[in-house]
Amino acid sequence: MKRRKTLELILTISVLSIAAAGCSKGQSKEEFNFEKEITVVARDAASGTRGAFHEIMKIKVKTDGTETDNLAVGALEFDGTDKVVTAVEGDKHAIGYISVGSLSDRIKASSINGAEPTEENVKNGSYVISRPFLLVTKENKSELVEDFLNFASSSRGQAITKEMKYIPGAEEEAEYTASGLKGTIKVAGSTSVTPLMEKLQEEYKSLNPDVTFEMQSNGSSQGIKAAIDGSYDIGMSSRELKEDESASLQRHVLAIDGIAVILNKNNPINDLSSEEITGIYTGKITSWGQVK
Amino acid sequence: MENTALEKRVLNKRKTKSLIFRSLVWFCGILTVGILAYILLFILVRGIPNINMEFLFGEYNSESLSAFSSVVTTVEMIVISLVIAVPVGVFCAIYLQEYARRGNKAVKAIRLAVDTLAGIPSIVYGLFGMIFFVNILGLRASVLSGVLTVSIMILPVIISSSEEAIKSVPDMYREGSLGLGATRLRTVFSIVLPTAMPGILSGVILAIGRIVGETAALIFTSGTNVLENPTLDLMASQRTLAIHMYMLASEGLPHSKDMAFATGAILIIVVFIVNFAATKLAGRIGRLSNGK
Amino acid sequence: MENVRKSKFNDTVMQSVFFMSAFVSVLAVIAISLFLFLRGIPAIAEIGFMDFIFSEKWGPVNTPASYGILSMIVGSIYVTAGAIVIGVPVGLMCAVFLAEFCPAAIYKIVKPAVNLLAGIPSIIYGFFGMQIVVPYVRDNIGGNGYSILSASIILGIMILPTIISISESSIRSVPGSYKEGSFGLGATKEETIFKVVVPAAKSGVLTAIILGIGRAVGETMAVVMVAGNAVMPLDKIALLKPIRTLTTNIVTEMSYASGLHESSLIATGVVLFVFIVILNASLSLIKSRSSRN
Repeated sequence: MKRRKTLELILTISVLSIAAAGCSKGQSKEEFNFEKEITVVARDAASGTRGAFHEIMKIKVKTDGTETDNLAVGALEFDGTDKVVTAVEGDKHAIGYISVGSLSDRIKASSINGAEPTEENVKNGSYVISRPFLLVTKENKSELVEDFLNFASSSRGQAITKEMKYIPGAEEEAEYTASGLKGTIKVAGSTSVTPLMEKLQEEYKSLNPDVTFEMQSNGSSQGIKAAIDGSYDIGMSSRELKEDESASLQRHVLAIDGIAVILNKNNPINDLSSEEITGIYTGKITSWGQVK
Repeated sequence: MENTALEKRVLNKRKTKSLIFRSLVWFCGILTVGILAYILLFILVRGIPNINMEFLFGEYNSESLSAFSSVVTTVEMIVISLVIAVPVGVFCAIYLQEYARRGNKAVKAIRLAVDTLAGIPSIVYGLFGMIFFVNILGLRASVLSGVLTVSIMILPVIISSSEEAIKSVPDMYREGSLGLGATRLRTVFSIVLPTAMPGILSGVILAIGRIVGETAALIFTSGTNVLENPTLDLMASQRTLAIHMYMLASEGLPHSKDMAFATGAILIIVVFIVNFAATKLAGRIGRLSNGK
Repeated sequence: MENVRKSKFNDTVMQSVFFMSAFVSVLAVIAISLFLFLRGIPAIAEIGFMDFIFSEKWGPVNTPASYGILSMIVGSIYVTAGAIVIGVPVGLMCAVFLAEFCPAAIYKIVKPAVNLLAGIPSIIYGFFGMQIVVPYVRDNIGGNGYSILSASIILGIMILPTIISISESSIRSVPGSYKEGSFGLGATKEETIFKVVVPAAKSGVLTAIILGIGRAVGETMAVVMVAGNAVMPLDKIALLKPIRTLTTNIVTEMSYASGLHESSLIATGVVLFVFIVILNASLSLIKSRSSRN
């Protein structure tokens, strides 16, 4: 009986150690494989980043009255920037797109048609993928909302925008002085604009301590909708307004943001052409070998 | 002679088979604990170093990503949901165990309803909350909408554990009380409920666990908003701890991943405490019913 | 006299309070189904039942838009089946372990561990899946990791506690005489358990599996983080390819949806709800059958 128990123990331990060995060999680094299928990472359809990127890169095709998003079959869709970064960070063969402001050293940005996603290149148009960060309000907005918008386009607001690696939307730099107003500003919309908006709010509140903000980070379309129906004071959008939307809204360009195409750090490729990007995202190019 | 050799071989084969089964069973038992340990260690090891005072009690901003206001909202949500759901749930259990006649049609309907509620996925609760509380009742995305949704969700947990606890109160307690001339109501409140209390409490604690971990039902009802300082305003849209973790895992803010680990660690610690307390209390009621 | 009447009155009042509280659950179920159907059915009617359920074309932002959820229905089924394939054998074995083999000292560790596994929030499972399971599948098995397989593994772990605790209690409730009879015929302990005890406990095990299916089908937050959420045409669905399920379709798109798109997502919820109700009905069928036996 005793021997049997020992035998059992040995068997269990060996089974476990085999399993453990199976787990540990996972760390081996394979070489970058040009034949392997590209992992295409996109955002969810809510995202203004997606709206802008797919439109500029002609992934979304408009032909008289119809509009079709030709995103490649099997492309991953994530509802947040960090999930895109995580996916590209971990997968050598992945490609994704995020706001330039969200770039970090976890991934690298590809240059497009030879142009790096720098402020200068976005401004002079050699970097082709950019979109405005909009704040939209009703025509008759409150004094407080007006004051906040003034702050956002002032030199102080622009400094924050630059610090966050975005390009300020306003041309002239007006000075802003604290108004001392009171109240709550309700803001909803784009997840891409949210980080910048949070910074602006923090600064604004340090100047006007009696103002509070309510923020709902739920996608550009939702923010625009909320601004139209008046349930929120300011809608944040990371894409241009559609015709039916712009009819009842005022738009304020908060910043210009480049959209960076991101690659895994182990990817030897550093430059992509617009056509290549379109090809990858519509599923016509399926391996990195076809790009090289 | 040949016959016994064959028998022996068959017996040996059976023994080996048994041994394989036995080790498989042991393996699965150990595997289950192993998986749990792996998940816990993974989150705790990477999360706990990131927990600091600023994260726990600081103001929320894009630097600190503090969980303080989410913690306060979570506690607020737990307290109010319990205030709503515990009386309803316990009364329901009292009705089913102490008052209802067996085979009664209403009882059948109630049991069916409780079973159905227990099986509905949280995302469906979320949709219902969004349609009914947020839109139709006009409560907007607010803690109140979240509380009401969650209250319905935890009802079945409270009902079934209270029922079990009331069922386990020995009949002679009731007979004794009724024999002394107490009314049924009196008996329920002064004899049955106090005796069943540990079991009811363990159900309440499980319900707390469910609220703490809930995400899908709350994302459309109480929203993803985060305020820099905690508020107890029921009409404010505020995220709970679990949603805080989800948002941190989705947003592209710097350190948001580390802070997602930290939030996860807090969640795990809370769940650990909740489970420990529930087991201890359930152990007490178990002893009670065994000792009858 | 006054006192007696008063307490009798109290008794009746409280009895109706108890009854009304009990009825809250019924009202809640009615309200949930009513409002879901009120919003969902018109959308299904507008899209067309066949185009909604049996079309794999999901393009809510296209013009003209298409709202077919077939690929998500199939996705939910695959992911759930995967979870069952992974979770049931392990869970059942673990239940046998707990009920029949486990020494008391180890039971004290394993049992609370199973309970704790049930208490871990789904967001933690999802995060774990995203950080550990997805990279593991990508590096060792293939594909990009966001896949049916990853989702099945995570869901398989998540349904373990349900499978284990219900199977364990039904194994324990098998009468001892069954076992003694089998031992008497010379069977080993293992043979007895797998040929006599487990088959005798099969209605409990079946209940456990159905509850597991319910949990897996309805799980949202964990799946959304590991499944990749791609809408796949039916012929492209594969174990190592990404997938979108009914639940993740709702959660990824609801925040921005409006108009018919929003209603179509609620209709997706209706499909899910109907599925769960069918599961519940089969569960009570099993319950009533086993109690008759």
